[in-house]
Amino acid sequence: MKTRISSLAPTALGVGALLVTVLAPQALAEQGTPPAGDPARGAKVWADNCSRCHNMRDPREFTDGQWQVIVTHMRLRGGFTGQDARDILAFLQASN
Amino acid sequence: MAGPRYFISRKHALAWAMGAVLGWTAPVWAQGDEPWKAEIEALRREIRQAAEGKEVDSRFHLAGYASVDYVDPQTGNSSFTGVTFNPIFHYSYKDWLLLDAEIGTQLSSEGETETSLEYMTANLVLNDSMILVAGRFLSPIGMFRRNIHPSWVNKLPSAPIGFDHGQAVPLADVGLQLTGGIALGATRANYAIYTANGPMLELNAAGDEIEEIGTEGQGSDMNDDKVIGGRVGWLPLPRLEVGVSFATGKASGEGALGETGNRDYDVVDVDFSWQVAGFDLRGEYTKTELGESPAAGIDPAEKEWTAWYTQAAYRLPGTNWEAVLRYGGYEPPTGVETRQWTPGINYLFAAHVIAKLAYEFNDTDGVEDDDRLLLQIAYGF
Repeated sequence: MKTRISSLAPTALGVGALLVTVLAPQALAEQGTPPAGDPARGAKVWADNCSRCHNMRDPREFTDGQWQVIVTHMRLRGGFTGQDARDILAFLQASN
Repeated sequence: MAGPRYFISRKHALAWAMGAVLGWTAPVWAQGDEPWKAEIEALRREIRQAAEGKEVDSRFHLAGYASVDYVDPQTGNSSFTGVTFNPIFHYSYKDWLLLDAEIGTQLSSEGETETSLEYMTANLVLNDSMILVAGRFLSPIGMFRRNIHPSWVNKLPSAPIGFDHGQAVPLADVGLQLTGGIALGATRANYAIYTANGPMLELNAAGDEIEEIGTEGQGSDMNDDKVIGGRVGWLPLPRLEVGVSFATGKASGEGALGETGNRDYDVVDVDFSWQVAGFDLRGEYTKTELGESPAAGIDPAEKEWTAWYTQAAYRLPGTNWEAVLRYGGYEPPTGVETRQWTPGINYLFAAHVIAKLAYEFNDTDGVEDDDRLLLQIAYGF
């Protein structure tokens, strides 16, 4: 059984690649211009999530552009949705 | 008789007026000229920087962390050690590409500088719930290795026992990963699935026993059999997350180990984190299994590594002090189990500048206790 699961890796890779190439562009096309971030909601998402791993950083520590890069990095680490990330970014940029 | 006539030419009147104005204003400018000019220049600079930040598609940001440790073991010499500097490079293009790389720089016990590429990934944001990650990434198995191990994030000066290099948890891998977050009504979930080169078996110095499974992220596949794995996290409440991870594939080694065939490799992991009533609670359990060798060879028996920990931290209200207590255990294939208690106290000079003092009580079956005093200064930037 273990061998069988392991041998499915190429298949899983193929299915994953198919999902990415077929679904992602479609999703992007449907998405168009993503909704803007909501600073009020972002404040709550920021407070609820960032401290799950580390001490909270002061929004004034970084510029708007720096926060944009950092939030993308943290979206990757923290498993946020795109909307969560935009909301957090809107809050941080409004607060720095 | 006409009275005296006071004649002042226009030129004189103008000169007089200018003189009066200058005479009145000069002292004011003399007193406030420089501060005002400096402030205006600072505002201009700020406006320029703000405009620059908004008008470019490419952005670069340097982050990272650094730390210095002092270790005083019960047996052996005390040392200043663990001098590490890990810069993290972020480059983003618009909002759909992020290059993410961490260089680990560490001072060895011999005083030489050791460097390593901790991770380097190209991340494509496909949509609101999908990011494609390619390259060498931190293992998404569990929570500690991926999110908690940086020194300014970890609330104690050491990793939990069993969660370090060559022990129970995978550290990194090279391949492809799909990850993201999903809104589920009032709750939220996140996921990561990946396929990668997988681990490499490593022998002890005598060459007769498998000592550890190398999971630093191999740049080649030892057996042409990719590992697949992933993690699903669920947040039923905003500050509570529970996660389940797995990985499965084949493991093999170089040299004589390569002749013993590919062995089953399986990892399972469960983790949780919860912030409640001022406490930060977290824990993780992980088990790595290596199947028996399909051919007679070196160390052919099945093997198992298990490790777990629970940790509570509490920031004393209105102060910069934080108390931490961790309890964990580790059992390598030798079957000799170690239990570890680690109480600690931290002082936060800032959210990202922390002094940590801790004491590890290590209790290993059949071995004399080797407790340690640990001190660390950690800095995140």
